[in-house]
Amino acid sequence: MTTPKPTGPPDGGWGWVVAAAGFAVNGLSYGVLRSLGLAFPDFAEYFDRNAQETAWVSALALAVQQAASPVGSALSTRWGARPVVMVGGILTSLGFVFSAFAHSLLHLYLGLGVLAGSGWALVFAPALGTVSRYFSRRRVLAVGLALTGNGASSLLLAPALQLLLDNFGWRGSLLLLGAVTLHLTPCGALLRPLALPGDPLALPRSPLAALGLGLFRHRAFLVLTLGTALVGVGYFIPYVHLAPHALDRGLGGYGAVLVVAAAAVGDIGARLLCGWLADQGWVPLPRLLTVFGALTGLGLLAVGLVPVVGNEDSWGGPLLAAAGVYGLSAGSYAPLIFCVLPELVGIGNVVQATGLVMMLLSLGGLLGPPLSGFLRDETGDFTASFLTCGSFVLSGSFVYLGLPKALPSCRPASRPGTPPPEMGELLPVPQIALLSPGDPHSTLDTTC
Amino acid sequence: MMTEYSNLSLESHNLSVTAAPITSLPVKEEMMTKAAPITSLPVQEEMRTKAVPIISLPVQEEMTTKYSNLSLESHSISMTVERPNMPVEKNITLERPSNVELTCQFTPSGNLNSVNVTWKKGDKLLEDNYLVNTTGSILYTQYRVAIINSKQMGSYSCFFGEKKQQRGTFNLKVPEINGKNKPLITYVGDTVVLICKCQDCLPLNWTWYSGNGSVQVPIGIPVNDKYVISGKHANETKLKITQLSEDDQGTYWCHAIFELGESEGHVELVVLSYLVPLKAFCAIAAEVVLLVAIILLFEMYTQKKKKPSDDGKEIEQGEQLKLDDSNGIENSGPRHRKNESVGQ
Repeated sequence: MTTPKPTGPPDGGWGWVVAAAGFAVNGLSYGVLRSLGLAFPDFAEYFDRNAQETAWVSALALAVQQAASPVGSALSTRWGARPVVMVGGILTSLGFVFSAFAHSLLHLYLGLGVLAGSGWALVFAPALGTVSRYFSRRRVLAVGLALTGNGASSLLLAPALQLLLDNFGWRGSLLLLGAVTLHLTPCGALLRPLALPGDPLALPRSPLAALGLGLFRHRAFLVLTLGTALVGVGYFIPYVHLAPHALDRGLGGYGAVLVVAAAAVGDIGARLLCGWLADQGWVPLPRLLTVFGALTGLGLLAVGLVPVVGNEDSWGGPLLAAAGVYGLSAGSYAPLIFCVLPELVGIGNVVQATGLVMMLLSLGGLLGPPLSGFLRDETGDFTASFLTCGSFVLSGSFVYLGLPKALPSCRPASRPGTPPPEMGELLPVPQIALLSPGDPHSTLDTTC
Repeated sequence: MMTEYSNLSLESHNLSVTAAPITSLPVKEEMMTKAAPITSLPVQEEMRTKAVPIISLPVQEEMTTKYSNLSLESHSISMTVERPNMPVEKNITLERPSNVELTCQFTPSGNLNSVNVTWKKGDKLLEDNYLVNTTGSILYTQYRVAIINSKQMGSYSCFFGEKKQQRGTFNLKVPEINGKNKPLITYVGDTVVLICKCQDCLPLNWTWYSGNGSVQVPIGIPVNDKYVISGKHANETKLKITQLSEDDQGTYWCHAIFELGESEGHVELVVLSYLVPLKAFCAIAAEVVLLVAIILLFEMYTQKKKKPSDDGKEIEQGEQLKLDDSNGIENSGPRHRKNESVGQ
């Protein structure tokens, strides 16, 4: 069992294949989930239920996927990302096939919600964690690239799904979506295992240890989780309520579409741009995370405070600008939240940490949209909703200030702005101190 | 004559663009009491008499009292000379027998009294039941009719002038039925519910027909388990078909019967066999298996090439892959994450 000392992350080569696999995984999980709403009217009509009950199908799938994410990362810590993602692909596909033969809405809840959701839980965190492992200097760009998968996928899948529904009905469409999601398995096959210097020396003994709960002993990780839980409450609200808010503010149907498109385009573009920018190393990642988190919060506040538009035909300038700002910041935030993990917990624990972060985001995702809806019903419009979610995001970003290197430190300027490229690591020295969980790691605390 | 129809609703249709007074009972009374010259006899159209300016007070009262418990619907069209030759149309939906009051307002450029006013139903000239009045520079004509059967539905037009005729048309129709525009796709053995809806109306009865080509076959006669019709007396009707087979494919018609006529909607049903998507599914699944095999084979191949490596590192390999649909590649041995050679 002697091992040669593994070299660092390849930062290229097969890594790009892994990033492409991550792109596809993202598209085949979140992208499919987002487009699934197109089939809801058909479900509602066939099963004679109302829109709210059918919407629970995707809400349940999303909840299962995010809440069970730590299970996926625990399993992949034990057996590696590859088998777990391949099994997850099969599970998801089975869920769709099962629901194609549904005879009640309950079957859809079980098939799409529980089964497919569990399959997705097994694929997302391991795949994303593996992408992180294959890169260091270009990590944020690679992760950002992978995260654009769901946007690109929903652009393609939405018209394709409509075509399937028109030609095969919802049963045939679900069956064929099962075949489409089966492609998660080849994506998993591409996730070649990688040995890295930071890997734990022994496999975790118990399932609980595999979950990575020991990570919570790191103060930095704790700070991150608290901040992320707060941000999660507000982060997902625009996914659900931006379009209704635009309509409420007086824009016509196409104006609302434009607003949502502005946010989406900003989101996708920012994931790549910020990815490239962050990798330059000019600003430490935790600081970038704080900054973009705060900007997202401010963007949400702006969206909420935008005045009522005069007529239906206007293109809604202020709301469009606010939505664009929100999109740009939220898009920059997304890869950062995953890429800040290796610095905080070590590259060896990245997969587990990813799973835990997903679970925390899901808690917020379950809380946020219903809260926003409730506020809308109470106050009559979405202003209160967006102000609330903006403040949650801002408070989460405030918590991020506690992260190491978030605040401009009084550390002597020993290293230059750009990281030494030949080292191939973003944070050479302090990372090694975090190899075994439980070590005091005072070196990473914010100190002068 | 009109007395028998007193239990009908009165519908007067008005489309006033100008702030013009709507002709209604008060005006009529005014005309009656002042004995103003009116151009026609308020008599049912079947009893056609000459358009002689006669005020027939008792008859009129009879008529109004008999129909008084019906709803009054007033509709009017306004026309001016500035928009010449633009036929103005108004669609009126009638569900149950009513008294209908159609009013046309016209602002001529020249002398009001020289304008000739006529009414037509379709192409047939109507000679009674209409009044003409002038207020200031606006010419009004009002046509009153009791709509009690489907023969009276159709297009009623008012004409102003002889040569350059201004025309306003009222189209009286029964309410429209909404079926479904896109075909409903179902599978063999499945159950489907076809729905026809009528917006804001309540037909007397609904019937369903299945149509193949131009022939319409009624459904539900004889009554059997396969077809269940619900909602025969509501604004929505449902036809539930169980145990679908490919023979059930085609167009289904729902007829809504009103007192004033019939209206129909249609729903198209497509019945597919599960084999149709299943074939596509199997093809894609086979492609996935192929992809996985290619990826894993490629990896084994590149790693075999690396076995005799230059720097003499010992590389221990072992991968345990958990696959259900792998094509037989199974490497035994514990899998150690760290003992994998780095790809590139």
